[in-house]
Amino acid sequence: MRRYRWFVVAALGLVAVLTGFLVANIGQDLVYYQTPSDVLADAGRVGAGRFRLGGQVVPGSIVDDGASVTFDVTDGQATVNVAHQGAPQQLFREGIGVVVEGTWDGVIFHSDSMIIKHDEQYRTEDGGVYTPDSRYPSP
Amino acid sequence: MKRPIEIAAAGTMLTALVTGLVVPPDAVQGDVQRIMYVHVPSAWLAYLAFGVTLIASLAHLRTRDLRWDRRAGASAEIGVVFTGLALATGMLWGKPVWGVWWTWDARLVLTAAMFFVYLAYLALRRTTDDPVIRGKRSAVFGIVAALQIPVVHFSVVWWRSLHQPPTILRPGEPQIDPPLLFALLMAVAAFTVLYVALLRRRVELAGAEDALLTTVRIEEPVAGSAVVGPQPRGEGA
Repeated sequence: MRRYRWFVVAALGLVAVLTGFLVANIGQDLVYYQTPSDVLADAGRVGAGRFRLGGQVVPGSIVDDGASVTFDVTDGQATVNVAHQGAPQQLFREGIGVVVEGTWDGVIFHSDSMIIKHDEQYRTEDGGVYTPDSRYPSP
Repeated sequence: MKRPIEIAAAGTMLTALVTGLVVPPDAVQGDVQRIMYVHVPSAWLAYLAFGVTLIASLAHLRTRDLRWDRRAGASAEIGVVFTGLALATGMLWGKPVWGVWWTWDARLVLTAAMFFVYLAYLALRRTTDDPVIRGKRSAVFGIVAALQIPVVHFSVVWWRSLHQPPTILRPGEPQIDPPLLFALLMAVAAFTVLYVALLRRRVELAGAEDALLTTVRIEEPVAGSAVVGPQPRGEGA
């Protein structure tokens, strides 16, 4: 065991340093997305590069012109207007959770990447009756 | 050589499969949601198996009984398989629902990390031929590695993530309709029985492997031992 003592000390030191770097740098990245409240509260985000914005699609706010989709994303307190370039995801609809990635100019969030955030709720159709047409209601 | 537990595993798996296919699908996701009946029990088995590895490792350090070490190793092997299955089914589910196979979300990254840490545990077990040394080393690793299990599980609660928070293991009502909940619980039960059946087989096999390693081989004639090489002759002959 004696032979390995310094090796063990060095390895533990290396692990400690790497863990330190990880904890110091991961901070914000552990959070997968920012909420509309975060974005509106932090003026430093305007024009400051790409980040992810997440929230629920406000019912009645979706405007689809074929090439892009605009809609509002809310966290219940604040709302941000999003202009998304490209086709929305299959499950995109009113009231669903969405995470968009792009830049924020202070008025509109310009997104080019969309991920659907499904929540923890699983519900059957009313009365447990399932009809193929009801599976994918149009947004 | 079928045993009651193995027959039970096959029976409950078949029942769970049928149940998972006949219950109505989720209203938003459609039939894709049925992946849940494999994904969730796989993740549950990963936690269960690594938890058993932790308990068996502690028991081994306390008693120095190699049977506990073999249980720890066998359970970790099963855990790695089901962690891999949870990752794979998660990707298959993520593509149609989220729109991506993979993303750098805390839950996803930490689950992958858990997968690799327990692969390292299995590699560590093979670094020596001596079961006693193997037992001590892997018990320490098995205890330290278990620290990440709660972090993986609570990652979706502690940090805002893409992955959903728990549907059932949460304060308050489960957020799932009764038929879907029934199918999910059936699947969890079936996977748990399967785990017990697999663990018993693997522990037996590990015992046989250790017996083979520690058996003192007596000198017995082998093929070719009758052939004698050229013998040196006496000096000056």
